[in-house]
Amino acid sequence: MLDVGRHPNIDLLAYSEIEKVEGEAGNFKITVRRKARYVEEDKCTGCGACKEKCPTIVPDAFNEGLGERKAIYSWFAQGIPSTHTIDSNYCRQLQGKKCGVCAKTCQAGAINFEQKDRIVELTVGAIIVAAGYDVFDPVKIPEYRYKKIPNVVTAIEFERLLSASGPTAGHLDRPSDRAIEAEIEALEKKAAKSQKLVAKFEEQFNQSSADFYAKFQKGEYKDDEERNKWAEKYKEHLTIVEPLEVMKKKAEGFTAAKRLAFIQCVGSRDFRFYPFCSGYCCMHSIKEAIIAHEHGPDTTSTIFGMDIRAIGKGFEEYKIRGGNHSNISYVRGRVAEIQDGPENNPIVVYEDTKERMVKSQEFDMVILATACAPTKGIYELADKLGIELDAYDFIKTSPLSPVDTSKPGIFVCGCAGAPMDVPESVAQASSAAERAAEVAFEGDVRKEKAVA
Amino acid sequence: MSKDILVIGGGIAGIQSSLDLAEMGVKVHLVEKLPSIGGKMAQLDKTFPTNDCAI
Repeated sequence: MLDVGRHPNIDLLAYSEIEKVEGEAGNFKITVRRKARYVEEDKCTGCGACKEKCPTIVPDAFNEGLGERKAIYSWFAQGIPSTHTIDSNYCRQLQGKKCGVCAKTCQAGAINFEQKDRIVELTVGAIIVAAGYDVFDPVKIPEYRYKKIPNVVTAIEFERLLSASGPTAGHLDRPSDRAIEAEIEALEKKAAKSQKLVAKFEEQFNQSSADFYAKFQKGEYKDDEERNKWAEKYKEHLTIVEPLEVMKKKAEGFTAAKRLAFIQCVGSRDFRFYPFCSGYCCMHSIKEAIIAHEHGPDTTSTIFGMDIRAIGKGFEEYKIRGGNHSNISYVRGRVAEIQDGPENNPIVVYEDTKERMVKSQEFDMVILATACAPTKGIYELADKLGIELDAYDFIKTSPLSPVDTSKPGIFVCGCAGAPMDVPESVAQASSAAERAAEVAFEGDVRKEKAVA
Repeated sequence: MSKDILVIGGGIAGIQSSLDLAEMGVKVHLVEKLPSIGGKMAQLDKTFPTNDCAI
């Protein structure tokens, strides 16, 4: 990534979108909209002082909403370019309120609230589409109760929880436990405030609130106006402190998630959604289970799948290694339902096809291996480029020229064309680069050549 | 005729294409809609089967 940022031959247009494409192979005229960041790219040093001071807290999309960021942000810590961006949907100043804290903090003077979108015109000989994919939204499968049971997460969300740079700093804290901890934090702030109010009265009357309140309830001090106020404040204080104590006691028992279930083919190999196999999810789940076991050696994982498709160099060995050394068991069967169990533990109901039995098992967390779905923006992009999509809305290619789209001079690589893993994406990317250079420099020689 | 090349998307595929072309001496314009490049792979903690860091 760093190499891309500093390579003299790469003109990096981040935070930009394609507006218009005209022309043909050898001579495409491209209009690019460079969206306003409200931060000057040539001035911002990426120091991050602005986001320290920014008062507006926003869910962090990079962490799949599991963490928080500020209204001025960098997409992620090591992001290239490191230029910060102001989210105009949340920024107080851009929403017409008074703020501007970031502008006062920025020593480089990079903040510019007046910045507008800019239009850039390019002329290119060939185009490579590497627009990627979207994670399938498992809300569409109601029996898995994603978003309803807090400890049912997607594989990419689990990835962020495992990451040392993620919202939990790599601790496998369950989302339900994190929600309670956040509530405790909020209540503690409230309790500290009301404690101050009550303390004032305690000082004034030189008596503890508990003593006073016991007497007050027996009917003493009824005519004293000040003491009536005290009683009222103390009652309010108790409504905060009592549930807080209960929650704190509960939180003492919180541990990292130890019993994990991985459910394969969520959205893929499913005729209601995508009939195809997404290819990478089996290995993705095994990897997540191995990493989780590295985090906590007493972690056990169960992978529920119709079959484990470990097709690739070193993949089958990886699968076996996971079973032998990382407490992974593989269960052949399709999960019918996930139910909400005690202590926010999801219960997986499945058919064990080896024993021909319907079983259910309780876990700390369930991870859904979601399908590789075409990206939302692909329809508009394909329309602008004038290229065709296939039956599942990936970019159409043919088996003998897997990186050529339906339009000469436009190539595709990675998951925009079909679901694939990282090594395959990289291989296709090099192939598409070579094809694009061929067209830009020599015209499409492939046409004259016999193919296969 | 132009010898420049446009790459749409700054994920692992777009990054690899851009670097290959740039190393060949071709001028590349890499367009990414998000504030930083990296794509989905940057969100991954480790990659299989070697458990190497993704970024």
